[in-house]
Amino acid sequence: MKTYIAQRLGIGAVTLFGMSVVIFLLLRLAPGNIVDILFSTGGYVNPSERAAIEQELGLDKPIWAQYVDWLGQLAVGNLGKSYRYDLPAWEIIKPLIPVTLELATLSLVISVVLGVPTGVLSAIRQDTRLDYVLRVFSLAGLSMPSFWLGMVIILGLVAWFGWIPPVTYVRPGENLGLHAIQFLLPSLAVGYRSSALIMRMTRSSLLEVMREDYVRTAWAKGQTGGVVIWRHALKNAILPVVTVIGIEFAFLIGGLVVTETVFNLPGLARFLVQAILWRDYPIVQNLVMLIAIVVILSNLFVDMLYGVLDPRVRYGN
Amino acid sequence: MATRPLGLDEAAALPARRDRGGVRAVLARFCRKKPLGAAGGAIMLVIALTAIFADQIQTYDPIATDAAKSLSAPSREHWLGSDHLGRDIYSRIVHGARVSLAVGLASTLLGSALGGVIGLLSGYVGGTTDLLTQRVMDILQGLPLLVLALVMSAALGPSIPNVVLAISIPIIPRAARVIRSSVLTIREMQYVEAARAIGLRHLRIAFRHILPNTIGPFIVLGTAQLGGAILVEAALSFLGVGVPEPYPSWGRMLSVSAAEYAQKAPWLVLFPGIAISLAVFGSNLLGDALRDTLDPRLRGA
Amino acid sequence: MRRFRFAARALEIALAASVIVTGTTPAVAETPKAGGTLNIMLREDLSQGFAIHETATISTVWPAGPCFSNLVLFDPAKKVESADTIIGELAEKWSWQDNYKNLVFFLKKGVKWHDGQPFTSKDVKFTFDMVRGAPDAPGKLRLNPRKDWYANVEAVEAPDPHTVVFRMKRAQPSLLMMLASGYSPVYAAHVPPASYRTGCIGTGPFKVKEWRKGEFVDYVKNPDYFVRGRPYLDGLRYVVIVERGTRTAAMQAGQLDAAMPGETSKGTMEQLKKAVPQMVFNTVAASVSDNIIMNVKKPPFDNPKVRLAVSYAIDRRGLIQAAHQGGAVLGAAMLPRPYGVWGMAEKDLLALPGYGKPADMKVRARKLLAEAGITADKPLKVEMATRAIAVYVDMASFVINELKQVGIEATLKQVETAQWHPMATRGEYQIGANLTGLGTEDPDANFYENYACGSPRNYSLYCSEEVMKLFDRQSQELDPKKRQEMVIAIQKKLEDDAARPILDQRLDYFAHWPHVKGLTPHNNIYNFARMQDVWRDK
Repeated sequence: MKTYIAQRLGIGAVTLFGMSVVIFLLLRLAPGNIVDILFSTGGYVNPSERAAIEQELGLDKPIWAQYVDWLGQLAVGNLGKSYRYDLPAWEIIKPLIPVTLELATLSLVISVVLGVPTGVLSAIRQDTRLDYVLRVFSLAGLSMPSFWLGMVIILGLVAWFGWIPPVTYVRPGENLGLHAIQFLLPSLAVGYRSSALIMRMTRSSLLEVMREDYVRTAWAKGQTGGVVIWRHALKNAILPVVTVIGIEFAFLIGGLVVTETVFNLPGLARFLVQAILWRDYPIVQNLVMLIAIVVILSNLFVDMLYGVLDPRVRYGN
Repeated sequence: MATRPLGLDEAAALPARRDRGGVRAVLARFCRKKPLGAAGGAIMLVIALTAIFADQIQTYDPIATDAAKSLSAPSREHWLGSDHLGRDIYSRIVHGARVSLAVGLASTLLGSALGGVIGLLSGYVGGTTDLLTQRVMDILQGLPLLVLALVMSAALGPSIPNVVLAISIPIIPRAARVIRSSVLTIREMQYVEAARAIGLRHLRIAFRHILPNTIGPFIVLGTAQLGGAILVEAALSFLGVGVPEPYPSWGRMLSVSAAEYAQKAPWLVLFPGIAISLAVFGSNLLGDALRDTLDPRLRGA
Repeated sequence: MRRFRFAARALEIALAASVIVTGTTPAVAETPKAGGTLNIMLREDLSQGFAIHETATISTVWPAGPCFSNLVLFDPAKKVESADTIIGELAEKWSWQDNYKNLVFFLKKGVKWHDGQPFTSKDVKFTFDMVRGAPDAPGKLRLNPRKDWYANVEAVEAPDPHTVVFRMKRAQPSLLMMLASGYSPVYAAHVPPASYRTGCIGTGPFKVKEWRKGEFVDYVKNPDYFVRGRPYLDGLRYVVIVERGTRTAAMQAGQLDAAMPGETSKGTMEQLKKAVPQMVFNTVAASVSDNIIMNVKKPPFDNPKVRLAVSYAIDRRGLIQAAHQGGAVLGAAMLPRPYGVWGMAEKDLLALPGYGKPADMKVRARKLLAEAGITADKPLKVEMATRAIAVYVDMASFVINELKQVGIEATLKQVETAQWHPMATRGEYQIGANLTGLGTEDPDANFYENYACGSPRNYSLYCSEEVMKLFDRQSQELDPKKRQEMVIAIQKKLEDDAARPILDQRLDYFAHWPHVKGLTPHNNIYNFARMQDVWRDK
């Protein structure tokens, strides 16, 4: 077990290293850098002033030197300074983390609460009208662009009620009720989408398990349907679902990008988009690495959970 | 349907491609057994036809502006209304189908093909090559789809080929993984060992015998990713880094101007969103049904 | 300055007299109430913080305005700006001397910076030596977009702590107009200029309480503000909302009390009006024009006939309707009357290329193109560049359609923000759809910035010695009437040369809730950001 974790962490480290190179190069591939953007806010361009700022920010060094600098900083835990805000990157990123974390967690909770029961229902009532309705409903959630759903919600609210959730972030400490309302709608929008995947996974996994011999044996033994489902089927069907939940957590970031923008929540995803547009290399690089670490760790966690739940899985083969 | 791939002799013994009657029978069976899938297929067909015949079924030039008709409601003249520049929404949606479908298909095919080849070779060759390739795939996959596409789009600049490239890149690792696991299973099959025993060259084995058997998972993967590709393209266009003007794109029709005039002209927001949803919905339905028919083992992948 | 005092006194007497005579208080103005805060719209986070001298965007001026003070300012209560509406802010009074070659300011006494340090003439000298790029200036700006505004300033002297003298190389009455712009605040000499990128030490009515990046800027009332009884409000909050639909929804739902200058288009106004009938809208000119830039150094637009044809081909009124739903007005380089005082009269405007009947204009365009060898069989293929932002793209789409009808086939090339200015400045384009904002409605500021040889913002690279002489002549003309005639003649010449055909001047329908009082938008988005007279009625 320990060697497995060590192995995975080792592989993870290699992957992270590779990712750092990729994101570093990709960013510099983009035409224009922070200095160009600064000048665009000034409405003009001056080559000598431009050279001076590039030197000040260290952008005139050769690319490999900049990369080494960045890695060196990371090694001592220094996340560098934001080009745009002239402040330590960590200081700017820190308050954004709880927002995105909360949004992601809430969305995941909603998606599980919505997805698992509907998946179970759909499986036991397979090929009935209820099954079709549930499948269509969940598939609709998967098909709608999440930003569209968010837009429609906001526009519908303001058109019918003249009200929208607060556009300034309300801390839980400030006003719990308002905070809850502020997070409920975007979580629903994102969660609805994720719930579709979980529902489908639950359904197909449960269907497969129900066909297994040991389930049929239990039936033959005379155990009632409900008990069979809960005791035997679900326990094993839950495994792939856990995998999907784990994977979904990482991929939620994509849905969060537009949702945070539409609902004006100050989270990592929205900030990342702005940072990309501003070519704020330190912020983008470090945020992306942060996301990558979260993804790798959550994958590892899910795999370990898989191992705990399913004794058939062996390690270190 | 088949629960294991055909062996060499059996494959050789199959009758030649049947005439139309056989295909029609297969289709009819499909519609009966998988009505949802058939519905999805029908939706995709309609969208594809719309895209192909966009010029014929449009009512106006999609980029022609008409100030007098700015923000007009759906009417006999403008079936789905017009936007703030007076452009006909229906014609723009019809042409948007071309863009969204083309970009979605192109990026899915590109990503799946590249990923498929990588997965095929990686899975077949195995060893260190496989290990290294997997790490690279991990890197590409570690980044969420939209984020990677966003960075790539910003990096490459707004143009259709660049958007296609940007969206295809995140698909590569996903395709590689699916094809690779498929290859790993097939590789151990007896008929492959038999082929090796006869002395067939590896490449020939890889492409002549293994590849055809991955077509099933490939199709499934493709239809599953197509929906995702269309959504990513919409999101990129919405954020402003996707398909540029003047090509009408469903996603871009939903950005800035639509939100600004949404209360006065809700059709600006409704119709493009419905179009996107319908396309993704259809492709997902079709994909699900195909997956159920072609390879039950991949259910829920 | 003394004129203003006298006028105010006369008004007081007249009011008092009217009360005595009629026995009622005239409905001149309601009595301002102190207290409360306002939520104000920001469409994006501050670029470079509060460093107004290092940017040229409303996204800095609007939220940073309350922190600073100018030497002089355009009267917040007057919509139309001119030399007659300039009032003193840090300057108690001022006078031109030596035939408009020296400008002397007498500064207010007892003014304190937000950190308690006293304000003196040293701060003014520091600021303007820095901005004009004086070789011995102790302060240095990282970016300096308005250096050219002060090209004629020979020296800034501070003979005593409350007197400043601007010595000019030649007479330039426009200097006062430029100093009154929202773009000309006074920095503190005792803090590094770079500090304004992260915070703000000013002398203004409000102090920065907190800038939460990407979210909002919070201001709190300055208890030591040098104007007694001001500001009325206890605080301000500028809320960042990037998504346009959400911005409008927030206005509608009352989460924002006031909009951002330039953000309330006609379409938005109509929507808001329908949903909130009591919402107040102020129709003002934004001082932002839609125009076409053409690279005059490269074919095909080095041929003045082709340029003129482009100008003729575009139906201005059609554009106003199509891209703005009527929310713009016809105008040349300077704002038309009644929005600005330098504008051309209606009849003169209609004589300009492209302002007649569209069909006739297009015929003229085709004729001009034919003379240049371009016909329907041999159409001209060009690439039209524009910024990848909706407002630019809409305009460009319309223009492309117009050009198609006269035989110019333009494809749209969207250029990302970071690339736009370098591309334009280096002349790496053929034709482009552009927006130009003017920091102050003054001929000097406009002409020298946008049409002068070698100016970094003269994207067309247009350069005419003859026209430069005209610029210099009007800049030194002391008779306002004569000067106005010269300015009008110059505008006509610029349009005839098709240097940078102006398509329209945008309007803004600045929206705010009725409980917001004392906020009078100007015909210029940059010049009413101070907020010192604004109060809440509930």
